[in-house]
Amino acid sequence: MKSPRVLRLLSCLGATLCLSMLGCKRAESPASGKAAGDPAPSGARRVAVVVSTLNNPWFVVLADTARDRAKELGYEAVVFDSQNDPAKESAHFDNIIASRYSAVLFNCTDAKGSIANVRRAKTANVPVFCMDREIEANNAAVSQILSDNYSGCVALGQYFVEQVGETGKYVELLGIVADTNTWNRSKGFHSVVDRFPGLKMVAQQSAEFDRSKALEVMDSLLQRNPDIDAVFCCNDAMAMGAYQALLAAGKASKVKVFGFDGADDVVKAVAEGKITATVMQFPKTMARTAAEYADRYLKGERNFPQRVPVAVELVTRENVQKFGDYGRKQQP
Amino acid sequence: MDASSSPDRPIPRAAIAAALIVAAGALLWVFPLFRIVPLQGATAQTGPNTAANETFDPAATAAKLWSGELRAAAQRAADAAAVVSAIRADPAAARQKHARSVGMGTAYYFVRGSGKVVARDRSFIRIALDGPQPAIVALRIGPIFGNAVRDGIGLLDVNQVPGLHEFNALAAELNKRVESEVLPALREKADIGAVVTFAGCAEAPESVPVADEPVLRIVPVMAEVRG
Repeated sequence: MKSPRVLRLLSCLGATLCLSMLGCKRAESPASGKAAGDPAPSGARRVAVVVSTLNNPWFVVLADTARDRAKELGYEAVVFDSQNDPAKESAHFDNIIASRYSAVLFNCTDAKGSIANVRRAKTANVPVFCMDREIEANNAAVSQILSDNYSGCVALGQYFVEQVGETGKYVELLGIVADTNTWNRSKGFHSVVDRFPGLKMVAQQSAEFDRSKALEVMDSLLQRNPDIDAVFCCNDAMAMGAYQALLAAGKASKVKVFGFDGADDVVKAVAEGKITATVMQFPKTMARTAAEYADRYLKGERNFPQRVPVAVELVTRENVQKFGDYGRKQQP
Repeated sequence: MDASSSPDRPIPRAAIAAALIVAAGALLWVFPLFRIVPLQGATAQTGPNTAANETFDPAATAAKLWSGELRAAAQRAADAAAVVSAIRADPAAARQKHARSVGMGTAYYFVRGSGKVVARDRSFIRIALDGPQPAIVALRIGPIFGNAVRDGIGLLDVNQVPGLHEFNALAAELNKRVESEVLPALREKADIGAVVTFAGCAEAPESVPVADEPVLRIVPVMAEVRG
């Protein structure tokens, strides 16, 4: 007869090993196991829309359009708000994988940090389609439908030089520094403006794509640089925040504000001459395309381009009448 | 009675402990609590295109393209006068027939032609194209920006490079080539009255420009000036 002490010892050891095995997973060889592109189990008809934030109307449009298009295509669709927090985004993916969603329409919080989430979903046979924001990995997402930010800011930069002139001082409000859109926009803009040595950037600071932060940052920058001629903002929410700060400082008519997104309030502000220009992205086009790609994937198609750049358009006072409702007015 | 042969004799504790340690060791060998993997391998699995980034050189890619495929492609570019004529008839149909874009991006024409310089400023020279119908196009001679060359020549795909950042770097390298190898001759020699033979890329206009405006604003990738 075994002694109770030995049994206890064995029980403890067994429990420890079981827990260890539950917490561990063997490293998977890319060549081994099921193909990551295998379809989700039949009968699963739910699509998750994971969006970086719903605290910005532009992303609300992106998420709602993706959800609505998925519903039109016959899926249940649920929107998950990551609140610009990679930890929340990761928890959403855990939930989505555990709940066996069919696909994810994804707007990431971090170009590098979000890769692991997409790879986890892929390993669990949940295909991911990126919208608007790029993850810096190939063959993790099925496809990435992305605004051509660089081209948009090249056009914006040229208009900036036309409007501000070839001499002057300006500040730049960057978006989230971990997001590639921030740098593609900034680099596109600087590829033009830096060619004019008379244009001096006196400050460059992140306001994280956030209107309230942009107001605070702009307020602070204005105190140190009261004689600027212009401000380039990496998105429209920040452009509105910067404009509010300029208005409060009595400089709104002297300092030209440039944004990026084509948000409705900024398009109206361009028409009223409050904001000098923005660049229209087409969130509805990107969201619909992502949902349609997911549907085609779940029906068996596998031939998708890894990245699909989507054209953007400069919006100025001269052509603003063509734009509205997050796109072209004539857009079907 | 021999105690050593008795079936009721308890197993020594040391033997039990040894057996448990061996069993635990075997299980941990099969199911380790953690694994140590080479950093390089781990990054290759989870990192952002590391290997591709190390091997992609936008300057070298642009140089190879410039001295190789681009020359042959320029010979196959659409006739500028024919494209202008098509745009005047129906900009959308002309775009459909002659223009190209990367993904759902901006559409560009790749055209070739020749004509006489009729005007110039510091950014553009205006050329009256040879042909039965009068048509004005502009060749850019100021700084070159954007993706017209990269996307217009039809030889590059965003999915051939690691990411958008690298694709944009490639556009910048091609623009540098235009500025260093094509524009100097145009700036120096393309005075009013000179004849210019060219190939280049231009954004597809959405509508027919007003009468005095050039129908196409072309970034030249090749140009030869006579007279």
